[in-house]
Amino acid sequence: MTTQELIEKVGLKPLSKFENRVVEGVYISDMVSDVMAGAKSGDLWLTIQTHKSIVPAANLVDVSAIVITGGKEVPAETVELASKYDIAILSSELPTFKLVGKLYALGVGA
Amino acid sequence: MQIRTIKDALDASVIEGEALLDVVVEHVYASDLMSDVLAFGKPNSILFTGLATQQAVVSAHMAEFKGVVFVRGKKLKDGLGRFARDNHLALLSTRYDMYEACVRIDCVMRGKVLLLEPVSVAPNGTEMSLSHELCVLGNDFANAGMVSTEVKSILKKIGLNPKLVRRVAISTYEGEMNVVMHARRARVHLTVTPQLVEVAINDEGQGIPDVELAMQEGFTTATEEMRAMGFGSGMGLPNIKKNADELIIKSEVNKGTQLLMKFHIQ
Repeated sequence: MTTQELIEKVGLKPLSKFENRVVEGVYISDMVSDVMAGAKSGDLWLTIQTHKSIVPAANLVDVSAIVITGGKEVPAETVELASKYDIAILSSELPTFKLVGKLYALGVGA
Repeated sequence: MQIRTIKDALDASVIEGEALLDVVVEHVYASDLMSDVLAFGKPNSILFTGLATQQAVVSAHMAEFKGVVFVRGKKLKDGLGRFARDNHLALLSTRYDMYEACVRIDCVMRGKVLLLEPVSVAPNGTEMSLSHELCVLGNDFANAGMVSTEVKSILKKIGLNPKLVRRVAISTYEGEMNVVMHARRARVHLTVTPQLVEVAINDEGQGIPDVELAMQEGFTTATEEMRAMGFGSGMGLPNIKKNADELIIKSEVNKGTQLLMKFHIQ
């Protein structure tokens, strides 16, 4: 599944300019270092962390997109930086658990 | 350099001129003697001074400067903001002293200059080697991760294996974050030879009293504030060890830490 298909199927809201990529798996964490250690290239990163530092982290681990869950507001500077590096920041109103349920049902990362 | 870059590097507050942060300045002039500023200051500079008086603001304007940074956390007396506003001068205040403020800007400027140098790649791709020096500033959370992002772009550009690039990028990021969180500043040297990628991060800072303890997963000295930003889970050094083929740490308390990471090519 690609980022764009996921946006349509799960009802995610894209906030940044991004490159459409294949979503290979899912990684959930709010600790940046944990993501650096555990996420794989192509993973979808689910988090409530919105500090600008998620962008270089996402770029370095090469995740396919960042999904901010729980409808948490994302600062403009985070979105701007993400657009600069073509990293998708997608927003979901659903809390992480419920979003994961939907993703799992769609077969993402399974 | 944009005034915004200076603001970030000095973690400065804006007293006046939020709208002027994108203005580009060409030089920094550091002085507490305003006659000096008027005699030697070049137009389009920014003044670093410990003199928080009207004289400083007016002199900066006369010398056609774009702004003034007050060092050592000096605050300007009320009413002077207006003069600056009317004359399009940005006024900033940083807690750093003059020396530290100048060093931090020098650091950023070197980083920038080096980034402009072309990456040398031999036509057959086998003899390539390069050496870059970048700079990381302590406490600069606004730019945290930018040096490792740059390292990643450089390595990608010379066509190294993406998996190797990712390992170098992640390790550099962890090292960079340690500097941002715990040190004053660091120089990052990236060296690539046909056999090896080497990243050396040499910081000036508090050092690590017990390297063995710091290498344990979960051990952290990060503050609550840092954790709120998602850092400091005690995974940094273990994560570097996992990704690098070789990791050498030398540290001296109250002096700094030298981190040398080696990655074999193939």
